[in-house]
Amino acid sequence: MEEKVLALLTSEFPDIDFTASDALVDDGILDSLTITGIIAALSMEFNITIPYEEIIEENFNSVAGLARMVQKLSNV
Amino acid sequence: MAFTELSFFVFAACLVLFYYLLPAKMQWIVLLTGSVIFYVSYGAEKLPFLLAAAGIAWWAALRMEKIRPDGPESRALARKKQKKVLLGAGALLVLLLLYAKVGTWVIQSFAALLRLDADSVPQAILALGVSYYTFSMLGYLADVYYGKEKAETNFLRFLLFAIYFPKILQGPISRHKFLAPQLKETHRFCYEAFCFGFQLMLWGYFKKLVIADRLAMLVNYVFDNVETQTGAHLLMAACFSAVQLYCDFSGCMDIAGGFSQILGLKLEPNFNHPFFSRSAAEFWRRWHITLGTWFKDYVYMPLAISPRVIRISKKVRETCGARAGKAVMTVLPLSVVWVLTGLWHSTEWNYVVWGVYWGTLIICANVFAPELKKLTGFLHINTKTESWKIFQMVRTFFLFVVGRILTVPGTLHGSAEVFKKIFFDFQPGSLFDGSVYSLELDRANFHLALVCIFVLWAVSMLQEKKPVRQRLAESNVVFRWAAWYALLFSIVIFGVYGPEFSAAAFVYMNF
Repeated sequence: MEEKVLALLTSEFPDIDFTASDALVDDGILDSLTITGIIAALSMEFNITIPYEEIIEENFNSVAGLARMVQKLSNV
Repeated sequence: MAFTELSFFVFAACLVLFYYLLPAKMQWIVLLTGSVIFYVSYGAEKLPFLLAAAGIAWWAALRMEKIRPDGPESRALARKKQKKVLLGAGALLVLLLLYAKVGTWVIQSFAALLRLDADSVPQAILALGVSYYTFSMLGYLADVYYGKEKAETNFLRFLLFAIYFPKILQGPISRHKFLAPQLKETHRFCYEAFCFGFQLMLWGYFKKLVIADRLAMLVNYVFDNVETQTGAHLLMAACFSAVQLYCDFSGCMDIAGGFSQILGLKLEPNFNHPFFSRSAAEFWRRWHITLGTWFKDYVYMPLAISPRVIRISKKVRETCGARAGKAVMTVLPLSVVWVLTGLWHSTEWNYVVWGVYWGTLIICANVFAPELKKLTGFLHINTKTESWKIFQMVRTFFLFVVGRILTVPGTLHGSAEVFKKIFFDFQPGSLFDGSVYSLELDRANFHLALVCIFVLWAVSMLQEKKPVRQRLAESNVVFRWAAWYALLFSIVIFGVYGPEFSAAAFVYMNF
């Protein structure tokens, strides 16, 4: 799942190095516009709905966190 | 009892004494009592609105928490019930806000319909700080609904969060989860916090009384007499009005933040040197930060990630390409956010246009970022140089000045007159022929204002690298005391106050 998510994000946001940090939000690498773009990309690709409750730093700080969230929401 | 009145200093001193001399477990009661006294000093008739809003938010949050699903099938039902409570309480709070914003207009419109004498019709009561406390409470309700916050069980504790007086007039728009835990803790007197807090208050008074209120004299005079001014005078006044607003608003935040620090409390920062911003988007991340964060968290995010917007984005993506699909995600929610930001300030048309203006700038910068990058490459602009960064900062400042011209004259017609004068009757010579000294500020006061703006700029530059209070605390004792005495005496000597002046009301109190 992690590879799939990373491949998608790299193709959608080629200017961002998603592997550069484990604190993508805290380090200011992801702003709110990028986060919504990521949510849209993940929702469309994996056919999931990401609820507002899931928008927490823990889920968006790393590719691993994003992959965990996608996995969880895919199983719902 | 404004922060600039003598009565406030007496009140603040008494409050600090009671706060630290009474048993620590009484601190929150001292704060609540003090906050009610402070609020009521602006008129007891305003208090019921705040009590009603706090009552609604407190009850609704508790109600939402009590609705617990018994099993998986009842989860959806419980969520539906919680949503009903959220929407109902939210609607009541928004109604209260609307009453404060357009109540007088509605009453007068009805009076006109019924052909009543306009003077005999009562005006809507201006519920002081309503824009700030309703937003704080709406945020609290949303956080409880989304499970990001626990509901407060004690109404008086919740009331203290709502009415805590340093932030009730102009914000910051506090988060319950940030401020409420601090209000529950007990605080011991700390000499260092007392000094730092007092110093921050001094800096706030300097910005407000020495810079903002001095500039306000010139700005008000020029914009009250647009027809007799040259374009150069109007542009200069618009630039000064930008600095005035910053010093007025951030000065108030420093006073509020400094006083809170004396009490051992911390308020959310509302400013981070906005005039050093290199883009419109960055400016709004540094200016009125808590309002921007509120709109980001409670309007932009829920809208942008709503299944409906994502569906529209997907459709556009399939028909017009990935870039257009992404643009939808930016344009739709940001348009809503900026119209609402304009309306939050005022329901007048000039503020709606002002909101659209900022929204357009931010949306265009985002959507056309690749083209702008190509353009700078085509023009061989080295974007890493200091000169380019300075150009970006100056450009952002003038974008803000344009925004000021949209709002300061009060009407769109007035703004158009100002723009007409700037573009077609500029007369640059009027800046150097001595006529600027006849715009309410004489030569000495005009030059003093310029010197103080320079001091503000220099201190802000230092603050960007390291907090100035920390720097001074680490410097030698003579220099340290000389600096603080200079600041204190500059407020006493150069501050715009006293019997022949009345310190201008804080600008953001009107919102």
